[in-house]
Amino acid sequence: MDDQKELWGKILAEIELNVSRANFLTLFKRTALLSLEGNVVTIAAPSTMIIDLLQRRFYEIIKRAVDKHTQMDASIIFAPKTIVATVEQAKESNMPLFEEEKPKTIGHLPRVRQDYTFENMAVSSSNQLAYVSATTVAKKPGQIYNPLFLYGPVGCGKTHLMQSIANEVFKNDNSKKILYITSEEFTNEVVESIRTNATAQMKRKFRNVDLLIIDDIQFIAGKEKIQEELFHTFNILVDNGSQIVLSSDRPPSEIQKVEKRLLSRFAGGLTVDIEQPDFELRTAILLIKAKKYGVGLSIEVAKIIAEKAQDARSLEGLLLRTITEAQAKGEEISEELANKLLGNKKDETIIVGSFHPDEIINNICTYYKVKPTQLKSSKRDAFLVKPRQVAMYILKKELGLTYVEIGNILGGRDHTTIMHGVEKVENLMGKTKLSEDISSISRLAVENVVDY
Amino acid sequence: MKIVFLSSNLSAKLSFLNHAVSSRGQLPILSNFLLETKKGKFHISSTDLEMGIQTSIPANVEEEGKTTVPAKNFSELVSNLGEEKVTLSLSDQSLKLTTGKVKSAFQTTPAEEFPKLFEEKGEEVAQIKREVIDKKMGRVVFAAAVESSRPALSGILLQKAKGGYIAVATDGYRLSLQKNISIGEKGEVKDKDLLIPARLIKELISLKEEGDTLKMYVSEKSNQTIFEQGETLVVGRLIEAKFPEYEKIIPEEHNSKTSFSRQDLQNAVRICSVFARETANILKLSLKKDRIVISANTPSVGENTVDVEAKLEGEENEIAFNARYLSELLSNIEEDEMTFEMQGPFNSGVFRVVGDNDFLHLIMPIRVQE
Repeated sequence: MDDQKELWGKILAEIELNVSRANFLTLFKRTALLSLEGNVVTIAAPSTMIIDLLQRRFYEIIKRAVDKHTQMDASIIFAPKTIVATVEQAKESNMPLFEEEKPKTIGHLPRVRQDYTFENMAVSSSNQLAYVSATTVAKKPGQIYNPLFLYGPVGCGKTHLMQSIANEVFKNDNSKKILYITSEEFTNEVVESIRTNATAQMKRKFRNVDLLIIDDIQFIAGKEKIQEELFHTFNILVDNGSQIVLSSDRPPSEIQKVEKRLLSRFAGGLTVDIEQPDFELRTAILLIKAKKYGVGLSIEVAKIIAEKAQDARSLEGLLLRTITEAQAKGEEISEELANKLLGNKKDETIIVGSFHPDEIINNICTYYKVKPTQLKSSKRDAFLVKPRQVAMYILKKELGLTYVEIGNILGGRDHTTIMHGVEKVENLMGKTKLSEDISSISRLAVENVVDY
Repeated sequence: MKIVFLSSNLSAKLSFLNHAVSSRGQLPILSNFLLETKKGKFHISSTDLEMGIQTSIPANVEEEGKTTVPAKNFSELVSNLGEEKVTLSLSDQSLKLTTGKVKSAFQTTPAEEFPKLFEEKGEEVAQIKREVIDKKMGRVVFAAAVESSRPALSGILLQKAKGGYIAVATDGYRLSLQKNISIGEKGEVKDKDLLIPARLIKELISLKEEGDTLKMYVSEKSNQTIFEQGETLVVGRLIEAKFPEYEKIIPEEHNSKTSFSRQDLQNAVRICSVFARETANILKLSLKKDRIVISANTPSVGENTVDVEAKLEGEENEIAFNARYLSELLSNIEEDEMTFEMQGPFNSGVFRVVGDNDFLHLIMPIRVQE
């Protein structure tokens, strides 16, 4: 194509010498070489009238020039066609009437699901504070809580809340620059920009937004260069009054291997904890999800399913399974069906997979700041008794060890001691402090596995 | 070449022929008329290479032949002759024009240098009534872009529809759409969309010629279209470009609809324009229950508001438009009763003519910072 353009340019230069300036400008300027096949040369000109003149009056001149540059005996034909040299430019020219419509679809926000909005979020005491602060941030981005740091276990609705903020801000003012990204993607972008030597471009991208949302921030742990980049981005955005929203599975103070200065900035705005949805909320979530799938779900069935899982994602999985099963059998979604299908499914609250008892004891010791030897010793100081009983509980519940085995591990204690300890912790589980401790220890376990 | 004809017959056609005389005049031949005599008729043609016009008048042809003369001088002379019998005769390079009292001789350029307007007329695709061109196309053509880097916007899209064509034009800021352009009994609707230069349609509207029907021809081979009315042919080329997908931007819903008199609104727009001229021509329309309040202000000049009686259905609303777009729309509509529909200040507003579902015009609003 470019060859043809160049060839035609040469031919035109030749022709220009042989015709008057007026003729050249009006007749030849807007011609182009359309194709060159064998010895047939097709020349495009914008109108039949121009073609008529070219053919009748300038054929000889054109042919001579063409023959000279193609070095053959060419036969020349003309085609009425407008070759717009500025096609590329034309695309950019404004047609606001037509562009106007684009922002109407929220699809403009990459990575953000349109159906995650505040309206379809179920709210109860476990996530009410988070919900209220998120709506406040969406109403007045960058003005009140900056940054907003949401943390909570999987499937408690962090992502839903954050995407709702993005959707709401966008709905209110679609000229706002919104960037939703996971910390993994952030890492990739930074790495990629360093690799391709395009850091300036990357910096511009992150530092020019009105709302930056980073999901699962805990994954930047141990990545120093990324943290540095985030630190600077953070400072600039806050200075510009742009809103930042972050999420993590634990509070800033518990994120390890992240620089202090960055952590203190994370905690500098509002830090809100979202708890695992309670039973009522789970039921409500199920009803909302069922509506989304266009399925009628009775409250009774929702309750049955809500008992079987803790986080919203598992709930959705169970719900889908129930729906699919009902459809496959051609039945209504009934209590019997749900019971039959999900009845034997255990409540998988804490963690899946097994660990060596020593690891768990190490974790417990790290958490309570005691030594394993102290834990296993015969001393019965109050600061040792609690960790020890927690250890009994976790070893029993998670590893399913027998009371005798646990007794052996913990320094040769009698199995009745262990039974008492487990029972005591079970009774205390209602108290939030202890159950929080236990879930923190479980998290530690998972994390250590990741580290290995 | 030698012919005799009545000067008034020719002078009636000259002003239209001059529309296609090249104004830039880079190529001298394009500022000439082509004069031809054939079979008892005197043909005159002009072209600027983009558009061509050919017309003919009855004449007493004594000897056939053809030549070209400078259009400007020739038209000026002929239009000042009054009602006279004119004899034209060509000898060597000189064209002699004589009446009872006047004797003049023009320097000519050989007819061979003049471009041929068309090879063949092409296929007849429509017979459009004169009033359809004047009224329905007139409501559409003004919305096309005059100068645009996008060729498609300088054209009118004729799109196949049941029993005729849909005509659409837009310059990217506003859009006019007219359905049911009837194509007559003999016409055959092209499956392919036709994009006709707006200039050509504007010329057709200004064409005064006998007969009440325009025949439209299309030759896809040479990418050309010809309109013929009476003795006059207007030749143009089809635009090869993709017209923007206009269907998508026509709003389907509205939450405010108001009916008003076009004349009243037009007056109000004229009055308010005085104060809008220096601030990007912005007029604000406030839709109230029983009226539309048009307002404009320029900090250095002043401000004013004009009430236009109207009947609102739905919510009260506000929107701002460029005054030029409003006044161009209002002056291209003949009917007096119109409606305006809108949904929020950021969505295009839609104007319609009451009792005519075939037409709509939409204008993109201006975002005004409060």
